[in-house]
Amino acid sequence: MTASSPSPLRRWLPWVLIVAAGLILPIVLPPFRLNLLGRFLSLGIVALGIDLIWGFTGMLSLGQGIFFALGGYAIGMFLSLDNLEPGKLPEFFDLYGVKELPGFWQPFASPLFTFFAIWVIPAVVAGLLGFLVFRNRIKGVYFSILTQAALLVFFNFFNGQQKLINGTNGLKTDTARIFGELVGSDLMQRYLFVITVVLTVGAWLLCRWLTTGRFGDALIAIRDDEPRMRFTGYNPTTYKTLVFAVAGGLAGVSGALYTVQSGIISPQFMAVPFSIEMVIWVAVGGRGTLIGAVLGAVVINYAKSLVSEQLPETWLFIQGGLFLLVVTALPDGLVGWWRLGGPAKLQAMVGWPPRTATYPSLDLDPALRSEQGEGKP
Amino acid sequence: MSSRSAPSADQPLLELRSVSVSFDGFWALNDLNLVLAPGELRAVIGPNGAGKTTFLDVITGKVKPTKGDVMFRGRSLVGTAEHRIARLGIGRKFQTPRVYQNLTPRRNLELAVSGNPSPFHLLFGGLESPARERVQHLLGVVGLEPFSNQPAGGLSHGQKQWLEIAMLVAQDPDLLLVDEPVAGLTDEETGRTADLLKQLSGDHTVLVIEHDMDFIRQLDSQVTVLHEGHVLCEGPMDEVQSDPRVIEVYLGVETDDLDSVENIA
Repeated sequence: MTASSPSPLRRWLPWVLIVAAGLILPIVLPPFRLNLLGRFLSLGIVALGIDLIWGFTGMLSLGQGIFFALGGYAIGMFLSLDNLEPGKLPEFFDLYGVKELPGFWQPFASPLFTFFAIWVIPAVVAGLLGFLVFRNRIKGVYFSILTQAALLVFFNFFNGQQKLINGTNGLKTDTARIFGELVGSDLMQRYLFVITVVLTVGAWLLCRWLTTGRFGDALIAIRDDEPRMRFTGYNPTTYKTLVFAVAGGLAGVSGALYTVQSGIISPQFMAVPFSIEMVIWVAVGGRGTLIGAVLGAVVINYAKSLVSEQLPETWLFIQGGLFLLVVTALPDGLVGWWRLGGPAKLQAMVGWPPRTATYPSLDLDPALRSEQGEGKP
Repeated sequence: MSSRSAPSADQPLLELRSVSVSFDGFWALNDLNLVLAPGELRAVIGPNGAGKTTFLDVITGKVKPTKGDVMFRGRSLVGTAEHRIARLGIGRKFQTPRVYQNLTPRRNLELAVSGNPSPFHLLFGGLESPARERVQHLLGVVGLEPFSNQPAGGLSHGQKQWLEIAMLVAQDPDLLLVDEPVAGLTDEETGRTADLLKQLSGDHTVLVIEHDMDFIRQLDSQVTVLHEGHVLCEGPMDEVQSDPRVIEVYLGVETDDLDSVENIA
């Protein structure tokens, strides 16, 4: 067991709220707000993956946008092909004079293939990339720089390939149809919101399962002292590759959900600032807490959209300030701060300290009570 | 585990054959030869810079020898990855205690005791109850039971030393390489560490590097003196202590005034 086990209420409350939100919000929220929330919640899944590799295993990836966008492109290609009249190609191909569907597009006509492609392709790409990097013992800053370089390579490739995947314009999904319903319709968006909630909870459960047992201990041990793990007989490369692939798969799912809820997938999802923002969500929410990653993603993005509606120019300053605040004052993020008794300290700081805890367990201890009782007749 | 493939009686467990290690022209080890018999307890001493830690690095695969060969049970270890060498049955305790700071002592030991280091085993296979009992037993032996559920980063230096020794014992290697196990320990703890290591030898082969001469004497074992990357002399403590060459390298001058290194320890 971990040293600090929070009370069941504190541990479960956020998740009870999220499940309740999944059931109630689609009914009460206006479609626009619901759509925003669904998008931000799906970003929570990529953040969970980052928490897994960064918060627990100590690998700071600045290239999760690769896997995020791969998942988005998988669903985007499927939706571009779905409900096409036989023999026709998605519209953009005509613009570039492409007469025949490129070979790699073919399998995306199948819903089953797409279902797996969304998470398997990003996971495999992450696994391969990770294996090459980890086998050569590239760590720390060098790893971060390498992931960012890989991100730029992918960005430039997708951005430049008009004839293959519509280049910089990306693929639109909101005018496509699934089961005869427009993807962009309110009804469909409501379904997608519920699916997002279910998958976010599923992703959280997966990460929790990975991080609580001895496997999770091994990840933390790799973060604390990787060479020592080797001398105990563990091969950190295997662990790091595996966990990086899982984070890649989660990013793919996240990207697919985000794509269908924002209506487009474009190379902008592989832009450098976006991948750095993902890291900021996790840092602000709290590294190594899992819940913090999801909350960070949702809260920051919701704040971003609210602020941007009123004062579009100020958001970047607020985001930068938040990051500075977390780095300097809240190294464990908001959730870490909460868990370490932050609210009480804040109360004390403003001159209204919380009442000092007594020892009710001693007062209620039957052994002590009977001892006191014995003195009395 | 004593049940592991027993080497033939006359085959050494570990053999270093004229091993040399060069760091950019500086020879940290220079034509070093050393033979360890199975079940032996061996102490290695030497002044600072004698190459003691490099010597362990070569055995555990952290540093590749520039020349020479390291044989473990008749098999060369050169070019084998660290984790594979560890799985062959070589465990190591580091000079400064290295424990996993953010894990509790119990979880530190549970990682060390795991027989199967594959990620799938850690995910799907539980910890067998003999291993669990072993962890509990070792926590008791090193007196860390009261602290077993708080992060190891908060332990004192001495407690970390003991935790790391316990991790090494939990790993149950055939060959234990122990680098300065009693640095920062009290006299009583030092005595207990010596007893523990003596107890382990026989079933295991133990190689101890230490500066503390009292501790070495308590081990009551063969002593190898390293100097400038090679073996200066070998023998029982009394013999080594009175060897003029040993006195010279420890004091830096040839002298007849001091008849043993004890005086400078």
